[in-house]
Amino acid sequence: MLKLMKYEFRKTWFTKLILLGITAVAEIAFLIGLYLEKETTLGLSVLLLVFLALGGVLVIGLESVVTLHRDLNTKQGYMLFMTPNTSYSVLGAKVLECSLSILIGGAFYFALGSLDLTLLFAKSGELNRLWEIIQDFLSRMTFANRALIIDMEGMASFVFCLLAGWILTVITAYFAVVISAALLNGKRFNGLLSFVLFLALSWFIGWVARIATASIPSINVLLLVDGAISLAFTAVMYVITAIIMERKLSV
Amino acid sequence: MLESKEITKAFGSKTAVDHISLSLEKGHVYAMLGPNGSGKTTWMKMAAGLIKPTSGQMLFEGQPVNIDSRRKIAYMSTEPFFYAWMTVKDVGAYYADFFDDFSWDGYHAMLRQMELEESMKTKTLSSGMMAKLKIAVTMARDAKIYMLDEPFNGIDLLARDNIRRCILEHADENKVLLLSSHLVEEMEAIADKAVFIHQGKLMEVDDLEEMRVERGASMADRYREIYGHTEE
Repeated sequence: MLKLMKYEFRKTWFTKLILLGITAVAEIAFLIGLYLEKETTLGLSVLLLVFLALGGVLVIGLESVVTLHRDLNTKQGYMLFMTPNTSYSVLGAKVLECSLSILIGGAFYFALGSLDLTLLFAKSGELNRLWEIIQDFLSRMTFANRALIIDMEGMASFVFCLLAGWILTVITAYFAVVISAALLNGKRFNGLLSFVLFLALSWFIGWVARIATASIPSINVLLLVDGAISLAFTAVMYVITAIIMERKLSV
Repeated sequence: MLESKEITKAFGSKTAVDHISLSLEKGHVYAMLGPNGSGKTTWMKMAAGLIKPTSGQMLFEGQPVNIDSRRKIAYMSTEPFFYAWMTVKDVGAYYADFFDDFSWDGYHAMLRQMELEESMKTKTLSSGMMAKLKIAVTMARDAKIYMLDEPFNGIDLLARDNIRRCILEHADENKVLLLSSHLVEEMEAIADKAVFIHQGKLMEVDDLEEMRVERGASMADRYREIYGHTEE
């Protein structure tokens, strides 16, 4: 499995490297703007960092889905499926590599964001107003119609819930891609049907999660339970997808 | 050693392989012959575990093909299938990572024969060089069964001689070699058995020596007899 994960990472490392490079440039611009007091540079770099934090993990997940699609629908799939690895291992390596990348990427941007906010807060009293604006913005954010708690624990719970939800979305997309390649291959409206299946499954899982967490009073606990439910569904989707691959998939 | 029992593969309304029962015994080099679309590639891919049959069974040493059989069957597809980011060295490393029977020494020796450099990028290889690389990495395994789909496609005469020699070096009493090719004369110099497939059905399996002695016919003669009327 580790060897498979190594190659999964190898397929996507270039994109991650580009993300890291752009983040480094944005961070340098942020530090220059902060310490040389260039407000335009500071503002633009903050915007770029926020965009990267949100978009980075999205890109990692989307690329993983595209890679799976390519592995199942082009001849490069032979590289995976002629090796002595079960579909459980092949898919497991993809799920683990993608999940770890999303979690590590999310944790990285969360840590970077926390560090930058601390620097911003510590640098100058004049910037305290900006910090207040950020706090005000965050305090307006809600999850399941409840206000988030703006402290380290609250934000970490929120980030975990978001990342786990995104991992589940990616695995649900895996499922749709596998259904498309294994069961609907060659049929009319193949792509459309698998996309509708993806939407329906996503809605159903969201509905189950809403019912399961409706009576939880604490927002932080709710976020953690919602994240845990996402990871549990991820495990279920993984097993079902791997079974279909093992029994029905031809490449 | 490798046996298909009434194996069938349909793609929608088209039946690519139609109830083929075929047994390949160790110690032989089989030429699998038939016009384009006759089902040779699909049969091989089912044996390699890449395609699931619609019905019937594919058995390796009496067991359905599975993960264990992939450890012992070396399959070379006719299409290029390496990742675009790979160099020739990466391809070897990939096989070394996943196949215990892969030999770096054998791989290096074959790369020299084929005049390929480890630093070459697979995405820049010509079709002939790609064909040589596929052969080199497949034959660098010490497998029980080698299945080569169109191994001579796009390869020049001298390299073909190298490949023929390499294939024959791997032939021994404990192995099965199965090759498909349109170059019937080329195959005649290597194979001792011929499997004729037409429109997804098995036509016949011939022992070439027997055919020569008893019927005075070559593999090419028999090919013309079987397919001649359909080719015209």
